[in-house]
This record gives sequence, C-alpha cells and structure tokens, in this order.
Amino acid sequence: MVRVVVSSIVAAQADGRQRFDVEAETVGEALRALPVADLLLDERGEWSRNLWVYVDETDARERGGPACPLAGAHEIRIVAALSGG
Amino acid sequence: MAIGVRALVGTRWGLFVLWGLDDRRGWRVDGPMLDGWGVYHATVDARDGTVYAAANHIVYGPTVQRSADGGKTWKRSKKIRLPQWSGLTVNATWHIEPGLPQQPGTLYLGADPGLLFRSDDAGETWEPNRSILEDPTRDRWVPGRGGVLCDSIQLDPGEPLRMYICITSVGTLRTDDGGQTWLLVNKNVATEYLPVLYPETGQCVHKLLLHPARPERLWQQNHCGVYRSDNCGNSWVRLDENGLPSGFGFPIMIDPKDPDKAFVIPERSHEYHYGTNRRLAVYGTRDAGQTWGEMSDGLPQQSWATVLREASASDADSLYFGTQNGSFFALAEGETWVEAARNLPPIMSVEVTQWSG
Repeated sequence: MVRVVVSSIVAAQADGRQRFDVEAETVGEALRALPVADLLLDERGEWSRNLWVYVDETDARERGGPACPLAGAHEIRIVAALSGG
Repeated sequence: MAIGVRALVGTRWGLFVLWGLDDRRGWRVDGPMLDGWGVYHATVDARDGTVYAAANHIVYGPTVQRSADGGKTWKRSKKIRLPQWSGLTVNATWHIEPGLPQQPGTLYLGADPGLLFRSDDAGETWEPNRSILEDPTRDRWVPGRGGVLCDSIQLDPGEPLRMYICITSVGTLRTDDGGQTWLLVNKNVATEYLPVLYPETGQCVHKLLLHPARPERLWQQNHCGVYRSDNCGNSWVRLDENGLPSGFGFPIMIDPKDPDKAFVIPERSHEYHYGTNRRLAVYGTRDAGQTWGEMSDGLPQQSWATVLREASASDADSLYFGTQNGSFFALAEGETWVEAARNLPPIMSVEVTQWSG
C-alpha cells in the first residue's frame, strides 16, 4: 500500500480528497488508480514536464518515470512546478 | 420577480458569474468557480440549463467541465483523446457550442490544434470530427501565437446539417452534410501576411458569428479586416474602410433582433495590441457595415486594455465585453457603458443569458 498525495487544485477535482491509499507496483500503476488519473497522465501514460512526482523524496523520473518501482515505498507526492512573474 | 442578465465570465483563473439587473447598471459578482483553471469559454445550454466550461491548466491539461446546478458542483468529461495514429494531442479546449433544440445531448467542441469534437452524451465523451482531423493540408496549418485554434462554431438553425467552423491560419469552413465533408469559404478574405492576398485557405479568422434571424448572413472579425457574407460564406465583403479606425481586432458582436447591426473593438494593428489612439472603443454599424460609429460613452478615455476573441457577447437588449485587465463592461440603455466589475483575472470569455427570480 502506498499513499498518494495530490495538490489542492487536483484535490478539488476529487471532491476535495488530497490523499489516496492505493495498491500498486509502479508509479504509473498508482497514478492510473486515482480518480484524477486523466489530469495527471497523457495518452501515452506519461506525466507533464511541469509535474514532479516524488517517491519518498526521490524524483521518479530518475527511476524510470511511470515504470518507477514502488517496492518498500511509503508515499508518492505530486507537485506542479509553476513559476514566472 | 426580478429579471436580469447572467454573464458567465471565463478568466485565466476560474469562472465568475455576474448577475445584472434589467437596467444593466447594478451587478453582483460570484466566483470563482473552477478556481485555478483557465476558462477559455463557458456557456449555458439553453436546452436544459447545464453550464459547460472549456477549462485548461498548464500542468493538468485541457478538459470540459459541466455543471447541472448552476456551478455548485462540476463533472469533468472523460479524457479528450485523439487516435494514436494521428500523432496529435489536444493542447487546449476553446469553444463549446450546444447543438440545436432537436439534437438533445449533442454538443460541439473546438480545440487546438485545429480540432472539432462532437459529444452525443451531454459532454461525458467527445469524438473528433474525422474529416477535420484527417484533412490532407493539416501539415501546412501554421500556428498563430495562440496555437491552431478552432474557436468559432456556428450552427444554422434552419439547416440542421449546416455548420461553420473557423480555424486560425486556415479560415472558415462550412459543412452542408453534418460534418462529413467541409468546404473552404474564404472568397475575398485577405491574407496580408502571405505572398498571395486572396488564397483559398490560410485566412486568420478571429471570430465568426451567424445571424440567428437571417442565417445566410455571417459576420467575421478577421486578422485582416471586418467582413460580412450574405450567402452562407460563399463570398465576403470587406467593411472596415467605412469609418473604422482599424480593421484589426478580435471580438465581434451582433444584435439578435437586427441583422444589419454589428459591433467591433478595433485594435491599432497586429503589432500593437491595444485600441487605436490608446483608447478602448467600441464601433457599431446599423447599416450592415456601410458606415461605423464610435460608442465609447463610459469607457476609459485612455487605456491599453484589450479584448480577446471570446470575450464579448450580446443579447436583445445590450452588449457586453471583458478586458485583459479584468474589467467587465455592459451597455446600459443602449448608450452608456457601465463597468460592472473590475480587477478580475484576465478575461478570456463572456456569454450571457437571461435570468429571473
């Protein structure tokens, strides 16, 4: 079981729910299990370049992106990287 | 019982609802709904009252949201996808057009890059129009600054199989068979940015409107002028040398009661996106574009405010528009502009419906 934490704007699309506990072996599988998967993943099952996905504080892109294994992981945190101004 | 107007005002950061009294002088602002989403267009389906919003987010992508309870709760369309073979992805949703009264549950969606979708289940799922998706000239469609937008969709109320769409850098297309085949209808519409002035395609339409009482009459604000067609787009007449200070602009408004009236908000030029003489000014015609007159009473005397292509609307009693610096204006008693709201986020779209309660 891994806990997925999403941002407030995504939570607003899931009746305000910000944390989800899911059974999954990879990050892609975990994200696909969410009711907001369509906002996080494109047609190819990948996430936007402006989205950062951390598995216990490690950038999931460095470990295969959607294929990043979750064995022993506790938390997936999804952060939108927006800047400017 | 009060009667007034409800304006759906889509902004960079959510959807606002402005409630105006019948005299268009007193207003109340509700919102934002869909907080944090760029609402490129929102409209009310007159057939059942559902509100639809073309909602886009730089990270979470494009979608369509719908609300059956006036914006209290929203449902998101299923992922709006294209076939894998197309090699395309949907960049943004731009315009939602409810179908005709005899087509319950049918809606149309214009999107980037140059896409038209249809839904037959009230916005739950969307299917791309294959003729537009597979157009053999698609690889030559040149994106404008905002992309390859399909932002005008007009249905002919008397001919259910006839529809018009506009795609930036392509021009106006008409179907007479419900979307199976499309005809380019750009005759006499200029492309001053191309080596050929009047090509078959390549026109940059900013907004197209069909007159509901005289559906063969179309108006368009183009990148290169203001035009009218009286024959379903088969040919166009350029109108901006008749008193308009500039042919460049984005929105256009019409009077649903009078096919000879139209209203535009000219900008200095494509290189200077602000009003001529650094003023925000509306120009109107009452004689089908033979002459134009300024209607600026109540608007700021000096302003660099701009109005986007979807950010104006009209009804039988008034005109409405919203600016990129977050002001919303309504025309009161046909002569004076009232600033109904200010300091909203940049306004992307405006639609109005009547309310009573």
